[in-house]
Amino acid sequence: MGVEELVASLGDNVLTTTLGKVIGWGRGNSVWPAQFGLACCAIEMIAVATARLDIGRFGSEAMRASPRQADLMIVSGRVSQKMAPILRTVYDQMPEPKWVISMGACASTGGVFNNYALLQGVDKIVPVDVYIPGCPPRPEDLLNALMILQERIKARGIVTQS
Amino acid sequence: MIADDLVLEKGVTARDQWVTVPAERIREVLSGLKADGYRLLVFLTCVDHLIDASREFPARFEIVYQLRDMDKPVEIRVRTFIGGDSPRIDSVHDIFPPANWEERETYDMFGIVFTGHPGLTRILMPDDWVGHPLRRDFPVGGEVVEFSEEHQIWQTAPDEA
Amino acid sequence: MIESPGVTVTRTGEQGAFGGELLTVNFGPHHPSTHGVLRLIVDLDGEQIKRVQPVIGYLHTGIEKQMEALRWQQGVVVTDRHDYLSPPINNLAYALAVEKLMGVEVPPRAQVLRVIMSELTRLSSHLVWMGTSGLELGAMSMLMYCFREREQIMDLNEEISGFRMHTSYIRPGGVFADSTPRFLEMLDKFVREMPGHIDEYEDLLTMNPIWRARTIGIGRLPAEDAKVLGATGPMLRGSGVAWDLRKSMPYSGYEDYDFEVAVSNDCDCYGRYLVRIKEMREAVKILRQALDRLPDGPVNVDDRKMLPPPREELETSMEAVIHHFKLFTEGYTVPAGDAYVAVESGRGENGCYIVSDGTHKPRRVKFRSASFVNLQALERMALNHMVADMIAIIGTADTVLGDVDR
Repeated sequence: MGVEELVASLGDNVLTTTLGKVIGWGRGNSVWPAQFGLACCAIEMIAVATARLDIGRFGSEAMRASPRQADLMIVSGRVSQKMAPILRTVYDQMPEPKWVISMGACASTGGVFNNYALLQGVDKIVPVDVYIPGCPPRPEDLLNALMILQERIKARGIVTQS
Repeated sequence: MIADDLVLEKGVTARDQWVTVPAERIREVLSGLKADGYRLLVFLTCVDHLIDASREFPARFEIVYQLRDMDKPVEIRVRTFIGGDSPRIDSVHDIFPPANWEERETYDMFGIVFTGHPGLTRILMPDDWVGHPLRRDFPVGGEVVEFSEEHQIWQTAPDEA
Repeated sequence: MIESPGVTVTRTGEQGAFGGELLTVNFGPHHPSTHGVLRLIVDLDGEQIKRVQPVIGYLHTGIEKQMEALRWQQGVVVTDRHDYLSPPINNLAYALAVEKLMGVEVPPRAQVLRVIMSELTRLSSHLVWMGTSGLELGAMSMLMYCFREREQIMDLNEEISGFRMHTSYIRPGGVFADSTPRFLEMLDKFVREMPGHIDEYEDLLTMNPIWRARTIGIGRLPAEDAKVLGATGPMLRGSGVAWDLRKSMPYSGYEDYDFEVAVSNDCDCYGRYLVRIKEMREAVKILRQALDRLPDGPVNVDDRKMLPPPREELETSMEAVIHHFKLFTEGYTVPAGDAYVAVESGRGENGCYIVSDGTHKPRRVKFRSASFVNLQALERMALNHMVADMIAIIGTADTVLGDVDR
């Protein structure tokens, strides 16, 4: 049973103020990205994991090959019409709570490729938390996006169903 | 060498040698050239000449085979024209194995049917895709970009335009 | 029948040598070691591979169609993005094709700068290949070492063009901008240090027993098969055929450089690895020569119809303003006709075939990508190997899926 279900089962009887902060802190500092490389941006995503930039400083060096072990999907590159259903499947396989970073212009809006083959923005199929501009963005931009996401996760704490 | 009765036209454009041959005898031409030493099919593609006013073309689709003799090295471009209604040409996948995927791609993108191909299915687009994207009458697609020229046209009501 | 979104694949129901039915395994398109979104349908008899059907198109971007909708000078930006590990080489193929059709010859300084960028890109492409392949076959530290040097190349790219990966540096008519003194300094330092780094990689891999066990004798591709299947680049040279476009059909003044064509007679994954290591050493050699001979002079053709006038002229010359306006609203036209140019990228023959109908937009642009053709040799290489060797074989084929699907 996850924390969210536990809190829901308690109903309105217990207030979870400090617990929410602790859980948010824990989640925010151990975001595990899925190893989901698509195109050019994937190379910059690899660069983030290597020595110069070292995403491990932010607790996200564990790129999981299985979506079942990941809680962040970095959509790194252009998503074609053929790839879109697979991307959604991978997203659905990730356990809750999960977040999505749309890395680069192609993933965010279709970028320079405004044509028949590409999905014009990955937010048409999955909810996106942070968009990164650039084609491809600098690795530092990805780190910045991760920090923005961490702030949000920490502020959110326990995600209660409304 | 290609027999003289097979050559419809030949010439040199931008230092590239080319020869035009009849489409129905393409297998004969290519196997002859292969025996001559042109053993590498560099690429195979199609050009859609729909409404091209710059030059005269006998038919809508031009199939281009670029061959190379790696020993000399020299290249030759074999061109052939086929009509637009139900474009159809013989497959050369058994003469040049790399042609297998190239023909599938040309089928996918232009709808050219290669008779005798072992598995002529779509290769780049999804199987259920309708249309052949690289034909000139297929729109580029995508979405209207705000504040662009197209956006202006898109916003104007048809009776005012 | 195995159903998956967009693609239909049929199961064969064939009997294997060990009595059981052939097992069909799906591999990808999201898989950590396929170098992108490659999908393979593999038929296994026990653990032996009996059939491989690559399913591609998951990264189809419509680049060729997009280029028909862009003007000639805008197309350069799109060429960067198909083979995303060697953008300047893609630019070069396109630029040479346009120049060939227009009959334009670029100045000597631009030629040398083009060679410098091509060789830097070849190095960075091989570094990414070696890092990721090492990672897949259990040499995790390779990734860290290779990307350390790749970052230096990215800094060089940034210094000369302002951008890390997709430089759009090489354009029809010349290059984007002249090199800065700082770039030449950085390049000089890089060229001095790089041979030592290549020794480091060799220390880590060449005699490494795990690496050797995973690559020697795996993915054999005899020379005759490689030729018949149309393989190019390290795939062909790893099979003992000394074919390099830079030597055989030189472009951009490669005939003036002194370098060897890397060949290995091993015909297996290890041979292809040795070819790439040797190519990196040769690339450093070419860079050194290019740096020593870099001539002075302009880096663009002196044609106001093709390239914009210098910024300072715009303030004083009405004609310059007209040229500038015409160029960026209408673009230039290319004479009707077609041309094909092939250049040697890190993966093999990277060609560009352009057809012009005499207007300011291309009628057709076709990229002859090395990965697309090389990938067809995958089945030949993987046949009768264990399923785990598939990783080594895909790795050393070094296909970039952006290049395959375009």
